[in-house]
Parts: sequence; structure tokens; C-alpha cells
Amino acid sequence: MFDFARLRLAASSDFARLRLAARRLRRLAVRWRSFVPCVALAALAAGPVASGADADAAVARRVVSLNPSLTAMLVALGAADRLVGVDVWSKRQNPDLAALPTVGGLYNPSLEALVALSPDLVVFVPAAEQRDFHARLDGLGVRVERFDPVRFDEVLASIERLGRIVGREAEARARVAEIGRVRAGLEGAAAGLPRPRAVLILQRDPLFVVGGANFIDEMLTSVGAQNVAGSFPEPYPRVSLEWLVAQAPEVILDSSHDADPPAAHWARFASLPAVVQGRVVRLPVGIATLPGPDLDDALRLLSRSVHGRDLLGGR
Amino acid sequence: MRALSPGRWAAVLLSLSGLLAVVAALGLASGPSGLAPSEVWEVLGGGGAGAAADIVLRIRLPRVVLAAGVGASLAVSGVLFQALLRNPLADPFILGISGGAALGGILVLAFGAAVGLGQSAVPPAAFAGAVGATVLLFAVTGLGGSVSTTALLLTGVVFNAFASAAIVFIASLAGLAEGASIFLWLIGNLSGGEIRLALWVGLFLAVGLACALPLARGLNLLALGEEQAGQLGVEVERHKRVLLLATSLMVGAAVSVSGLVGFVGLIIPHLLRLVLGPDHRLLVPASALGGAAFLVLCDTAARTLLPGRELPVGAITALLGGPLFLVLLRRHHRSVYAP
Repeated sequence: MFDFARLRLAASSDFARLRLAARRLRRLAVRWRSFVPCVALAALAAGPVASGADADAAVARRVVSLNPSLTAMLVALGAADRLVGVDVWSKRQNPDLAALPTVGGLYNPSLEALVALSPDLVVFVPAAEQRDFHARLDGLGVRVERFDPVRFDEVLASIERLGRIVGREAEARARVAEIGRVRAGLEGAAAGLPRPRAVLILQRDPLFVVGGANFIDEMLTSVGAQNVAGSFPEPYPRVSLEWLVAQAPEVILDSSHDADPPAAHWARFASLPAVVQGRVVRLPVGIATLPGPDLDDALRLLSRSVHGRDLLGGR
Repeated sequence: MRALSPGRWAAVLLSLSGLLAVVAALGLASGPSGLAPSEVWEVLGGGGAGAAADIVLRIRLPRVVLAAGVGASLAVSGVLFQALLRNPLADPFILGISGGAALGGILVLAFGAAVGLGQSAVPPAAFAGAVGATVLLFAVTGLGGSVSTTALLLTGVVFNAFASAAIVFIASLAGLAEGASIFLWLIGNLSGGEIRLALWVGLFLAVGLACALPLARGLNLLALGEEQAGQLGVEVERHKRVLLLATSLMVGAAVSVSGLVGFVGLIIPHLLRLVLGPDHRLLVPASALGGAAFLVLCDTAARTLLPGRELPVGAITALLGGPLFLVLLRRHHRSVYAP
């Protein structure tokens, strides 16, 4: 991922005195945004992390979710009625939750607003600020469960674990089974097809793409694409434009927030096979990149985007 | 002060031009895709096609030209602000122009997508912010009569603090992806390099140099103090207003395409002053060439140090420039800064 140590070093050797304020801001930014691009929202959810015997604990009835992907899982499992509060991003992503109280953003939740809801469970993802928050909630005797899924199987495990916690095991198992069915179907259908070299753009400038060892990379492989950035060890590396052009991707999946149309943006580089073949596709933000409950939809979206058609037909 | 003969003037500027040419060639020849230098020259000579042409003409060349333009603009504005404000700590960001540009650019980075503005709208918005800050600067310190150096500095400091606070506020409202853009913008970044942006920066650099070069002798006299300079026939107030305006626009253009690339504007003028002496007739053009060469070199490093990845150039300028500057300061400071 991003090397903040290097940036901090730069900041500390910067002695132009009137940039003090900017430096303070930079430090803040470093803390706020243990950066992962838009996926970040998602990446923040988590594999089972030794918080132990959650299955045995009492079923949670008043849940606060501090992460959009966890919120989406709870809603998909039919446990929306258990939610008593969410973070700002969960709400933006799911307008149905408009009536729920907000307890702050991903990185700046309000302890007071949260405690006022008297939750019996808080689910969250261990971003830098939330780790501290975790300790404070623990101190107040509020039960806290952390999630941090990066790999595909970890997302599935998170769905099942959350299902156990809120007493929706059957729904969780069904969801995971359906995702597995779609994945196996797509893998089978893609087996005989050419495997185009693809890149998934998270952000254009600075250029962030999906690297290796994460659920999106695994889904690209499942639908029969070769992720040209799959060899990067970190999930969401910042890469150079020149590197990308030299990789000659045949498919560009652009899920950046940028309002400028992807086709026009990438047409600057006429040598890109994806441009020549007209295979620059805009991916809706948040479907393929959220480690949430709908990885089956994400897989089908990716397969349509890579191959130009739904490999599973009408199913 | 060493005497400035036309021969020395020409020799210094020719050497620096040579340095810039070498560094630019290095920048064009280096990159993570491992093109052979022969392929690069073939493309530059009008041949070559495909990926090599895209890489050399649409990625490397715009960045080298942009880095040169931004580096020259920042170094020249640093030298001019240091002279005008008679303050060795002055850098291009001291008068709040950068704060205005940052505010404009970051507003679009944070909220542009919501109103249909892409990242291509960032430079114009940042430049509008820089112009706004310049207008504010002149409105507060007064257009007519004398412009007080203290009032200028205070306006800049206060406006920068205000802009920083506003940026923190905006960043706390923005999403993660926008937050990352904002962060990289604040540390300085040339990865969005496009040739039309480079030409835009070059235009304001040309205006700045055209205003500054004829007034360089006046800047030398200004070092004696405004009163003495006035007695020696320098039209102090007119000089100051013309140069402040030209320099502010030059900074605004540079910052609007690259964000806040630190260090170049502070270090290059001092570095050259240490080596060449304090005569602005030489120092101003030398800073343009030196700043250009320095930033092209730093950006080449930012593009190539980690294969396939990008480092923010603002971090490289500080890491490379800081130690170099301290070494030179230790060696030469008695001859230049001692009374």
C-alpha cells in the first residue's frame, strides 16, 4: 500500500516555515486515511479476528455498524431492524437507512453519540482511528467485534460470522452458498475463453489500481481475466501511468469517481489495446469494489465488463 | 559582491542550460517501462509508433516539460519574493497564493464529482483560487501608495492559515478517494502532466521573467532597504507592485497544475546565491534554469526509484534538496550571508 513513513519523513524535513499548517494537515490526513481508495470503505471489513467465541455470545439486538460493507451485510441478512446507528458512509450508500441516527464518519465516529444509542454490539473495521475507539468502547463495557476481510474467503467468512452474531446463520449460509455457486459457474464458463489482460482502475490521478492478494483480484481471475497488477503484493498499489501503458491491458475497468467519461480519458493513449478494441468500461462505484454481501453481483458485473456479455446467460 | 561581467553571465547561464538539457534527456530516457534509449530517440525524431510513442510523447515528454516549467516558476518566484520582502525565509507560498490555489483545487477534488466536474477541472479551479488570493492580497494591503512588506506578510500568513483550516474542514467531509487526492495534492505531485498544462505554466513563467529581468538591478538596490533604493533612483513602489502581481500569477499557475511542491522555491535561490553571489541580474535567470533542472531530476527520481510506482515529487525535492543545501550552506555561508 502507500508508504506513509516516507511521506512523514518528507514532511518533517520540510522547513519552509509557512507550510507549518499544511504539514499539520498532512499528518492529519495520514492518520485519517490509512489510504485505500474507494475500495477502502470496503477493505475495512474483516476476516475473523480472534475476538473469540462470538458465536456463543448472546445474539445482538441493538447493533451499531461503523462500516458500509458491514452495514450492507447486515441489511442483506435481513437484520436491518437490529441496526440502531450507522456511520455516514453506510447511510450514503443505503438510502433506506436515512432514518437511522448517524454516529459519525469512518474515521471520526462520535463516542458520545454512539453510547447514547446504548448498543449491545458495535461492529467496525480497524482503521487507525477506530482502533483507539475500540479500546475506549471496551473500557465502557460495550461489546465490540472487528472485521478486516481482504481475501475473497475472508469476505465470505465475515458474512457467516456476522450472521452468527445477529442470529441469521441460515441467511448467511444461503448467501455464501449463492456466491459460491455463481463463482463456480463463472469459472466454468470462462474456462474455455481467452483470458484478456485487464486492469481495474480505482482512481486516475493519483493512479491507484487493484493489485494482488485481495478479493477483487481473485474475482478478476474467476471471471477469466488476468489482472496485470496482480503481481503487486499490496492490494491497492499506486502505480505509474507509464507502467500501465507498458502493460498494454486489453480491458480497462474504470471505477474511479471521476466525472470525465473513461473512454474519452483513456483514448489519449492510442496504443492501448483496450482503447483500440473499445474495451474501456466504466464500473459503477462500489459494486465490484465493496467487500460486502453481494459478491455474486460483483462477479457477474465483472464478467459482463470483461467479456461483454453475461457468461451465465439469464440465470 | 563579485563583479558581473557579460562573459561570466553568459558562461553561467550556458552551463545551467547544458545541465537542464542533460537532465531533460535523462528524464526522457528513464521510466519504468524499460524502453531502450534508441527507441526514445526514434520516437522523438518523428518515428516509432504504438506504446513507445504513447510513453515518450504523452507521458514522459509532458512531465519533463511540466516539471521544468513548475521548477523554474517556483525558483524564480522564490528569488523574487526573497528580494521584494527582504526576507530570506520567503518562499513562493509565503503570500497565501498557494493557499488560495489549494483551496480552489481541493474544492473541486472533494466535491467536483457531485456536480459533474472531473479532475480536469482542478487546475482551472486552483488558478481561480490563486487569482482570488492575489486580489485579496492587494485589496487588503492597498493598491495605491506604498505597499507595506509587513502587511503583505501578515496577510499571507493569515490567509494561508485560513485556507489550511478550510482544507482540513473540506477533507473531513470528503470521501476516501478524494481524501487521497487531496493529500497528494498538498505534498506536490506531477503525475497528471499534460502538455497543455505545461504550456500554461510556461506562459506565466515567460510573463514573470519578462517583468523581473529588466528590474533585476533595482532588486539589487532594494537589498539596501527601500529608502536607500528610492534615493538611488529605484521606483520602489512600482517595482514592487509589478513584480508582486507577476510573481503571484506565476506561482498560481505552477501550484494549480502540481499542487504544493515544496522546497524548490526556497532552496534553489539560496543554493545559487551561495554559489553565484547575490546579483539578481544573474540570480533570476539562473534560478529559472536551476529550478527547472532540479525539479526535472526530482520528478525523474519520483517516476523511477520504485519500478512501476510513483512517489510524490514533493517528498523527493525535500529529501534530495535538504542535505545538499546544508552542505553548501556550511561551506559558503560566511562569504554570502555574513555582513
